[in-house]
Parts: sequence; C-alpha cells; structure tokens
Amino acid sequence: MKARLIALAGIVVSLGAPARAHRLDEYLEATLISVEKDHVQASMRLVPGVAVFPAVLASIDTNADGFISPAERQAYAESVVRDLSLSVDGNVLAPRLVSVHFPNVEDMREGLGEIHIDLNADLPRGGPDRRLVFENHHQSRIAAYLVNCLVPRDRNLRILAQNRNEQQSFYQLDYLQAGAGANSLLLGSSSSGRSSLGAMLKFVLFWFHGSASMFHLGTRHIAEGTDHLLFLLALLLPAPLVVICSRWAGFAGVRRSVFQMLKVVTAFTVGHSITLAVAALRLVDVPSRPIEVLIAVSILVSAAHALRPLFPGREAGIAAFFGLIHGLAFATTLGNLGLGRWERVASILGFNLGIETMQLIVVAAAMPSLILLSRTRAYPVLRIGGGLFAGFASLGWIAERLLGLHSSIDVLVDGIARRAVWIAAVMFLISLVFWLFGDVFDKQTTATEPLS
Amino acid sequence: MSINTARALRALALILLSVTSAIAQTATTRMVSAAKAFLSTLDAKQRQTVLFAFDDAKQRQRWSNLPTSFVARSGISLKDMNPAQRSATLALVSSALSPRGFEKVQQIIEGDEVLKSKEHNNPLFGKDLYYISILGTPSERDPWMLQFGGHHLALNITVAGERGVLTPTLTGAQPALYTMNGQTVRPLGPESDKAFALLNALDESERKQAILSYRLADLVLGPGQDGKTIQPEGLKASAMDERQRAMLLDLISEWAGIIHESAAATRMAEIKAGLNDTWFAWSGPITVSPGSNITAYYRIQGPNVVIEYAPQRLGGDPAMHVHTMYRDPTNDYGRRFTGK
Repeated sequence: MKARLIALAGIVVSLGAPARAHRLDEYLEATLISVEKDHVQASMRLVPGVAVFPAVLASIDTNADGFISPAERQAYAESVVRDLSLSVDGNVLAPRLVSVHFPNVEDMREGLGEIHIDLNADLPRGGPDRRLVFENHHQSRIAAYLVNCLVPRDRNLRILAQNRNEQQSFYQLDYLQAGAGANSLLLGSSSSGRSSLGAMLKFVLFWFHGSASMFHLGTRHIAEGTDHLLFLLALLLPAPLVVICSRWAGFAGVRRSVFQMLKVVTAFTVGHSITLAVAALRLVDVPSRPIEVLIAVSILVSAAHALRPLFPGREAGIAAFFGLIHGLAFATTLGNLGLGRWERVASILGFNLGIETMQLIVVAAAMPSLILLSRTRAYPVLRIGGGLFAGFASLGWIAERLLGLHSSIDVLVDGIARRAVWIAAVMFLISLVFWLFGDVFDKQTTATEPLS
Repeated sequence: MSINTARALRALALILLSVTSAIAQTATTRMVSAAKAFLSTLDAKQRQTVLFAFDDAKQRQRWSNLPTSFVARSGISLKDMNPAQRSATLALVSSALSPRGFEKVQQIIEGDEVLKSKEHNNPLFGKDLYYISILGTPSERDPWMLQFGGHHLALNITVAGERGVLTPTLTGAQPALYTMNGQTVRPLGPESDKAFALLNALDESERKQAILSYRLADLVLGPGQDGKTIQPEGLKASAMDERQRAMLLDLISEWAGIIHESAAATRMAEIKAGLNDTWFAWSGPITVSPGSNITAYYRIQGPNVVIEYAPQRLGGDPAMHVHTMYRDPTNDYGRRFTGK
C-alpha cells in the first residue's frame, strides 16, 4: 500500500502544479476540543490530500457511484466517531454527532475540501481535578492529526496540562473544575466584578474547590521533581548516625534518628513554603536558570555531607536554607498555570500541602529502612553508595543547567524514580534481613563503634 | 509685479502647501487619498466588483493561502487592470504598509512568479493573480477595510480613524528561497532566522519547556478559524530574561511591523504590555542548514497576538514552503474598534 501511495504521489506530482499547491499525501484531521461545565464538544476538520483522496473517497462513497449520498455522509461520520475514543476521569463517553458537513467531491479531489464533523458528549459529575482523554485512530496510516483545546469560556474551568503522543493520536487534558451548582454562580459573578469582596469570595470558593486539585498537582510535582527528593533523601542518609572524630559513626538511637529526620524535613518544608508563597505572589521575580543550578548544587552539598559530615548538627539549618531555593522552583510550576493573584494564594496552600504529603510518604517509606539498616554494618554501603549517586546526579545536572551540556542523568534518575515503590520495598526487605543478622553483629561490636 | 514673478510665487506657494499638507498627513489620510485615487482609475463596473459593504462578513473572511483559482477571491486582480490601475493598486497597498512590510509583500508576490516559471508557466500562479477589494467607503472617520491577496498572501487591513489593524493576515512563501537579479531572496527569512536565534538563546531547561513533544503538520488557526483561542503552550516570556524577551518582541515585529509605522508602534506597545503572558512554542528540528530556512513549526501566543509559522512538506522540502498566520484574538478585523 505504501508503495502504491508513493507511486500515486509520483503521478500526481508529475501531472504538474495543482498537486504542489495544497495538501498531498496526508489526511489532515484537526480537532478542537472545548470543555464546558457539563459537556464537551469536539469540532473536527478532515482534509484529505490529493494523493490519498481516492482511498478516503472509497471509504465514504461505499457504493462507488461517484456521489456522496446523505446516508453515506452519515455512515462515514459515524465510522469516524467509532475510530475515536473519548473519556473523562476514566469513564468512557459516548459522543453524539451534532452536525456533519461535506464539501463537494470536486473540491475534495483537489485537496481543498474540508469535512466538518461536530460532536458533543455529556460529562458525568466528578471531582475538581479532571482528566479528559481523546484518541483518534481514524485512517491512522495516512493521518496527520492535530488536537488542541480552546480556552474555556467558563471561568470555573482551568486547563492545567495537555499531553500528547508524537502523532497527536493520543491527547490528554488535565483541568480544574471549581464549583458546582450555586457556588459556580457565585464564582462567575464575583469574577466579573473586581471588588475586593468578590475577590475574597472567589478566593474562599476556589480554595474549597480548587485546592484539592492543587493538592494533587503538588503531590505529582514532588513525585516527578526527582531533584527535590534526591536532595532530601541525601540529607536524610546520615541522619540516624552520630559523628565521631569528624566521621560518620554508628547508630544514634531510634528516638534521636526519628527526631533528627523530622527536624530536617520540617526545616525544608518551612524554607520552601516561605519562598513558594513569596515567589508565587510575584513579590519577587527570579529567573529559573540560576535557581535550577542552585538546586543541583544543594544536592551536591547534601551528597558530600552524606560522605563526610560537613555540618553535623546543623542539617536543619542547611535544609531550611536550601528549602528557600527549592521553593522558588516550585513557584515556577504554579506560575506557568497562569492563575490570578487570589487563586494563586488558594493554590499555594493546596499545592504546598500536596508537596508536604508526598514528601512525608517518601520519608515514611525510607525512614524505617534507614533506621533498621543504620544499626548494621551494611549501612556505610548504602550511605556512601547513595551519597555518590546523588553527587554524580548533581554534577550531571550542574553541567546540564550551567554549561548547557547534555547528560542523560534525567533519564537515569527518572528511570529509578519510576521504580521507587519497588526499590523502597526491596530496600525495606533487605534492611529487615540485615537487621535480623545485625543482631548477631551487634553482639560482637558495639553500636557506637566507628564503622567507616 | 511681472507675470513671471507672480507665476513663480504661485508655484512656490503650491509647493509649500503640498509640503505642509504632506507633513500634516497621517497614515489614514494617505491611505484614504490613495484609495480614492485608485477608485478613480476604475470604470463603474470595475468599481462595483471591488467595493463591498463594510459589514459583508462573507467577503471579510474570503481569504486563503491557496492559489486564487482554487479559492476565488473577490475584487479585481492585477491581471485585469491597465498599468495605471495596477500602479494605483500598489500605491494603495504601499500606503497601508511600512517600507519593510511592502518589500515583504513584493517578495512573496515575486516568489509566486518564480513558482510559475518553475512550473512551466502554470496559469495557477504568477504575480498578476493578486486581488484587491475594499469593504466600506474609504474614510478618515468611518471604518473601512482593504483586502489584498492571492496565493500565500492575505492582507486584511481595517482602518478606523487613526487606527490601523492588520489582523488576521496570512503570509507564506514558495519557494521560500529564490534568486532574483543575482540576489538571494527569502521573503520570510527573518521570521525563520530570528526564531532560530531565540531558540538558541534559551538555556537547556527553558528549551525543554519551549519544545513541544509532538509533530505539527499545519497551522492550527489558519484560514477559516476566526475567533478561536486555543490553550497556549510552551515557554512563557515571564520566565525569559531581558535579552530573550527583546528577541521575542523583535521576532513578533516581523508581522506586527508589516503595517505602516504609526499603527505598528501602537501594536507593538500593545503586544509588549502583554508580553509576560506570551508563550513561545517550537515543534520539529532544532537545527538549520546555513543560509536556509528552519523546517520546524513555531507559535507565539499572547493575550492579543497569535503567530504561527508552519513549514509545509508539500513540494518536498519544508524549508522551501512555509505558511504563517498572524492574528489578534481580541481584535481580528479591527472588531474592537468597529464593533463588527
């Protein structure tokens, strides 16, 4: 078929200019999606190129009489709909045909005709944080897909993210839906007025309805923002240990370890909360590049500290200091959403809670293993290994962000992060095993004896 | 006083008068007099073909990137004019544009002539297949509109008092690089070069945001897509440093600066005011062969501007065939000033 297409294209080109003037060997399928409160619309423009027109026509004019009958139009439009899939929050939707418009066959033969198909689907009720997925597999061999969404007219809807595969046959839209029923009326009216009361009202309502999704965004950001986690984990590595003669020595005791870890995590949180708020409110405007470099440097510092105690007892201070810098990076994420000032305040709260929760989950997952392992002789392996890994990763990021060098560090770290749950589980098992055998070691060596 | 002296004085007075009036002339007065001069060269029947009602929505949207025989433009083509009418047409178009803008338009039109000769004198193409139409009555007070276009060109210029609005306008080029009188011409060369320079001025993390992960085969908001605002994507200018923002503005000026200088200055100020919320997105190859055009798609989208640059595969080499679109979602066809 491909060979036939090429041959066909060759013939058309050799016929002369008409083929050069417009679409040739692709079937342009452009979709504009518009989301409303309780339904979603999709407007499709289908433009067959000259070379693929015979194939497209054959699938429309099924009785091959050279004429597209109303029944054939309807049947074709329905076949297009069958090749689509539309879902929201995992619920498959059944789009209805609203209108079907065909150009005349002659225009289409010249690559000019646009078939217009408009669809509509009801949206089931859902939470504030919604995900719509649109897939188009119609004539995928020859298709050139385009998918975009219109900026919602409804001010209670806000687009968070769009993701597509390379061909745009897969399209995923994440959006916020604030308010329902009476609340949305209030929100709508207050958003048109510019009074401070309206703004306050909007803030309160958005906080109730929007912060949940911001919370989700926050958890996702910290889960995806591997550099932030790596900084924190590297700083936690030596937390269960005591320092003897400027070196990391044995286990400091469960209570002290837990306290030390909580102190570090809390300090980091306080630090990034402050700058997140300051930067997200645009009180300060910082360029993203130096921040990204400083974040990489912060990982290097905490990695070095895991190898040799650089600032024992002052981890919380360091965590708070670098927390300030990490917060500025979080703010860029929020800044990219294009929220207004008051919505931003509400969002910061939700977003920050999301970050903290995810952070707590990570710490809670790592802490038992760290505490168990730190009582054994195997711990230096983890501490030094982990420290070296974080160090190398940070050097890679520094090179990438400062010098523009290309490193594959992101791929590596992301690969590890994607398997984080497994790694945490395996680590916990290993630490259990070591801890059980560790009892044997403990009888031979005292816990406070230097191990490295 | 001798007759000769009187004559000389009168001539001097006339010259002075015309000089002062030329100085006092605004772009709109220049356009209006050029439009009147153009209309006066037409016979009654031609005038009927050229003139439309200002609120003729159908004519307003009758523009395209396609050759004129495919999508018929209304109005009258350069081909159907005598030399005086032709030069009056070009004088009118040039009165609406900056010198740089007019040069760009001429290079696009010459390019179609090159295409014609490459295609064995194909009657679909050529520099005389460009149409002019006027919506409303050329006036210094009431709104009117000038349309000029053909293959790869659609200028829609709305005049409302001293305001001049160029959106929506389509420029394109095929071949996007040709030789004329020994000179290499790239009608949309700066649009390619300045965008490429901006992409290269971004650092790694900024570039990551600017470069979209998917292929874009065509304009998203091309002809027929009036009044739609898509969700912006890419890198926001608020995250750019001053140098990058200046480069972005300079790139936008390739479209915003097509219209005459005073309208362009107002327009650039408007775009600059919305720069923080303006996005730059790129899709496709991030390299270019020296002296040639980029083969990547890019889009600039802000509160009052949408620019798309879309290389076309048609003809084999995307560097040689490009369509671009210039819109103002808040003010296409000067809607904000005319209420239409």
